[in-house]
Amino acid sequence: MTFQVAIVGSGPAGCYTAQALLRTLPGVRITLVERLPVPYGLVRYGVAADHQGTKAVTRQFDRVLGHPDVTFVGNVEVGADVSLEVLRSQFDAVVIATGLCRDRRLGIAGEELPGVIPSGWLTRWANGHPDATHARPRLGRRAVVIGNGNVAIDVARLLAKAQDEFTGSDLPGEVASALVAADVGEVVIVGRGTADEARFDPVMVKELAQVAGATFDVPESSSASASPRSDALRHLADDQRRGNRVVVRFRFGWTPSRIEGEDRVEKVVFADRTGTEHSVATDTVVSAIGFTGPAPLVPDGARVEDGRLGTGLYAVGWARRGPRGTIPDARTDARLVAEVVAGDLGAQHRPTSRSEPHRCFAALPATDLEGWQAIDRYERATAAHGRVRNKVTDRRALLQLARPRLNHLQGEPA
Amino acid sequence: MSIDVLYGTESGNAEMAAEEIAAAVADARSLDLQDLDPDDLSASTVYLVLCSTYGDGELPASAQPFVDGLQAQKPDLTGVRYAIFGLGDSSYAESYSLGGNRLAECLDALGAERFGDFGRHDASSSEDLVASAIAWARAVLADAAVAAA
Repeated sequence: MTFQVAIVGSGPAGCYTAQALLRTLPGVRITLVERLPVPYGLVRYGVAADHQGTKAVTRQFDRVLGHPDVTFVGNVEVGADVSLEVLRSQFDAVVIATGLCRDRRLGIAGEELPGVIPSGWLTRWANGHPDATHARPRLGRRAVVIGNGNVAIDVARLLAKAQDEFTGSDLPGEVASALVAADVGEVVIVGRGTADEARFDPVMVKELAQVAGATFDVPESSSASASPRSDALRHLADDQRRGNRVVVRFRFGWTPSRIEGEDRVEKVVFADRTGTEHSVATDTVVSAIGFTGPAPLVPDGARVEDGRLGTGLYAVGWARRGPRGTIPDARTDARLVAEVVAGDLGAQHRPTSRSEPHRCFAALPATDLEGWQAIDRYERATAAHGRVRNKVTDRRALLQLARPRLNHLQGEPA
Repeated sequence: MSIDVLYGTESGNAEMAAEEIAAAVADARSLDLQDLDPDDLSASTVYLVLCSTYGDGELPASAQPFVDGLQAQKPDLTGVRYAIFGLGDSSYAESYSLGGNRLAECLDALGAERFGDFGRHDASSSEDLVASAIAWARAVLADAAVAAA
């Protein structure tokens, strides 16, 4: 008795769901369907290039993709190349793990000015995402980062670090060149709330202390209390190595009012809690205020508490509970939803899926595990000095390396 | 000699390493610390403990209930032998591998006897976690066998 489950999206939520299902439902056959030619979603394209330790979860995911009961189908967008309905008719269960990648908007005047960059776009570009490669952001010397989460700190680190500090990362060469050209000298990180209300993990702020040639400007008032975040900021102010290459300033309790400029951004105006305005001159604004829905393929207003969207249809990760939480949170979530899926399928007793569910991808130029492994090998083998990977950032180049063969899935045993 | 490979994990990396050790070493099984009662620790089993680090040097989620249990129940662990392997990320210099240290301190305080080298793996390094963990397990088990002979 073999149940067939399709998981849409091969980021952390999708891979962890596959891992959990293999445990809870022995004998299950899983198909991971991915829009891009390559797997791992946010781990490859969202986690910062200099956080390879965090990216190391891909060693687990490599095992998932290599499992004999798992099939990777890349370069296939559900909802465009194949409909969700077709997928549901071919598989016993379909799990939506597409995540959420639309940047939340600031909703203030001037947001459309050149030089104002949403963080999702910036981090995709900085990670060599094929959809962002052709839209290189214009970076200037003075940057303002609006937001107080870990992504804001990731962006600040990206802009503030010296090039040799990216040793051991997979930062793409064209991104490194653009950062060198920009030669960022000031980064101002601005949050609406107080330091205690900030959402970044203290350890992320402490890490900033290691940035070479940086001076940190932390307001006195923010480091007065004993919260872990204030501790981290105090630590940053005390432990900085000090240099004049770049200054990183923290500002708390400032809400952005408007962005001004003629042809491109020139300044951001904030209001503090007393209503007093503060103007910050800048040529680059990054809004790091999170992502938003609705999730692709998840019907609006669907009840998703237990992940169940309908008969044989589930959502997991950010697609289920919104764009909050870390990679370990995705694991917890995946285990929960996998239990629900396994319970439903167990109660169903008999598979209803077609014997060859992969037929619905047969006419598509899909990439497979071998294709991804070819890309992976190439990227590692051609890594420049000081890099662990030479990310191929062009979709066509990725496809050339993966050499997807039309109909290659047709002959697979069901 | 039965061997329990215990793991405390947050992202699943310690679990993966523990499972691979259990597959590579005879008479070993892997077990999540959150599924183990501190009172079940026995002198007749050899424990290999893998523990990651979370956040600002905290214990990972799946080790926390076990450590809470140790501190509440205070079992006498005299005669319980264990070796430990800490997982961490040296990008976070101050909290690197602290989860493993914390767990070891708790076990030691209750009289458990640590053997072999304190293993470490740095997720920021290019060393393969699974290969490092298996090499460590073989080395500490060889030490334990010599000590027992």
